[in-house]
Amino acid sequence: MANSDPDKLISKADKLTKLSMTRWSADWKSATVLYEQAANAYRLAKNYEKAKEAFEKASKGQEMLSSPWDAAKHMESAAVLAKEAGNWKEVSEFSRHASELYTECGRSQPASDALAKGARALEDVAPEEAIQLYTDACDALEEDGKEQMAFDLYRAATSVYIKLEKYADAATFLLRWALSADKCNATHSQCKAYLSAIIVYLYAHDFQQAEKCYNDCCQVEAFLNSDQNRAASRLLSAYTEGDVEEIKRAAQSSIISNLDHVIIKLARKLPTGDVSAFKMDAKDQEEPLDEDDLT
Amino acid sequence: MSVIEILTRVDAICKKYDKYDIEKQKDSNVAGDDAFARLYAAIESDIEAALQKAETASQEKSRASAVAINAEIRRTKARLLEEVPKLQRLAVKKVKGLSTEEFAARNDLALALPDRIQAIPDGGAAAPKQTGGWGTSAPRKEIKFDSDGRFDSEYFQQTEESNQFRQEYEMRKIRQDQGLDVIAEGLDTLKNMAHDMNEELDRQVPLMDEIDTKVDQATSDLKNTNVRLKDTVNKLRSSRNFCIDIILLCIILGIAAYLYNALKK
Repeated sequence: MANSDPDKLISKADKLTKLSMTRWSADWKSATVLYEQAANAYRLAKNYEKAKEAFEKASKGQEMLSSPWDAAKHMESAAVLAKEAGNWKEVSEFSRHASELYTECGRSQPASDALAKGARALEDVAPEEAIQLYTDACDALEEDGKEQMAFDLYRAATSVYIKLEKYADAATFLLRWALSADKCNATHSQCKAYLSAIIVYLYAHDFQQAEKCYNDCCQVEAFLNSDQNRAASRLLSAYTEGDVEEIKRAAQSSIISNLDHVIIKLARKLPTGDVSAFKMDAKDQEEPLDEDDLT
Repeated sequence: MSVIEILTRVDAICKKYDKYDIEKQKDSNVAGDDAFARLYAAIESDIEAALQKAETASQEKSRASAVAINAEIRRTKARLLEEVPKLQRLAVKKVKGLSTEEFAARNDLALALPDRIQAIPDGGAAAPKQTGGWGTSAPRKEIKFDSDGRFDSEYFQQTEESNQFRQEYEMRKIRQDQGLDVIAEGLDTLKNMAHDMNEELDRQVPLMDEIDTKVDQATSDLKNTNVRLKDTVNKLRSSRNFCIDIILLCIILGIAAYLYNALKK
């Protein structure tokens, strides 16, 4: 049976499942078996298109047999093959479907893994879609209270954002990461995430945002008492003084070197643009106070 | 008779015959009415004790104990010197039953006491030789500088040696700072790694718990299955069924052989 032509298996299985005058109910059990065999045969033959279809049908069969776990597994294989076939839309579709099936089983970890695999496959080709998948994966884990597992996903998503040069989104995502770390009491990761967000804002040359971010983060006690806080304040004060050398030195400090390598690359490239502009901004803000403030 | 009994008996006898102890009576009687005499007697006995301690101190081999004893003696001397003025005041008071000579004598005795107290050796004699080397004269009102106030530029000139010394000190300090910087960086890295390891382990704790439960489940399942398998195999292998099977097999073979023979003929 295993040696017979996969095409023949597929046609046989199709006949089993198609409803017609003679057949009033589909025989999914045997059909699924046939589909699986055909799919494996196609995969060995490196016929990705056909293998993908076969896996799809096998997954549907498993669904009909009320075994979402196997269905999800087949969907995942189908997604992998879609990636080999270069069919990107289907990769994302299959990954999502697989993850839904996993969630049906009540297993959130494999669900997020399925989405993550899809996202990784799509990182280069369709980064927007990849980010969406990463976000959904993080949501799946957070719903189930497994925030610790989400850290890797946050990291990957942040690096994609930075590759896309969407710094505001990257910073927002980092803050989301910090929130997740806070929920599971991972203070070290939380402080690192805050520091990374500040650096990203500074790299985007948005000093006001960076300062606002810093002020917000200082409200958090865990950040206030940490080394990262000191490094951040050092960096920001170097910026307000417009001292390029000091900025470079602050960026080379060992605390920043402990962050994610993508962020380190950004930090080394600081300062971007004209730093003296910030100096003047700070002074402008002070003058109106002097005139109006009579105390 | 035990030792304790002997002791108690001796004590009782002594107490009974205390009234016949003349010396003791003399002491207590004499000191009874007269405050001066009492105080004088007390100070005398203290002086005696101090003298004895001084003797033991001079004979002591270990310096530390000698020093301790000397310190005690000095303390006692100070205390006694304080008591002397009190004694002198008492000496002037008139007490009944005392002759005029004795009264005069009392004053002299009181005056002689301070000298006697100071005369108690307390190991302080050796010290003056050392203090002589400090160069400060006894009257502290005059404090003299060696150079008579000439603080011109020559005085503060740095010599070659002190210059070099200062430079070396600076160099060493800088090198030490560099070394400490390296150490600080290493510690930072270690701290970061330790924190990350901490978080990783925290992440793995619930996973381990899950594994634990699952493996427990699997073990119990296996045990169950094993037991059932054993039962089944036992049932199959029960000897009675086995014998019956063998006998029936033999009968069938016998019948087959018979038929074979019959057909062959």
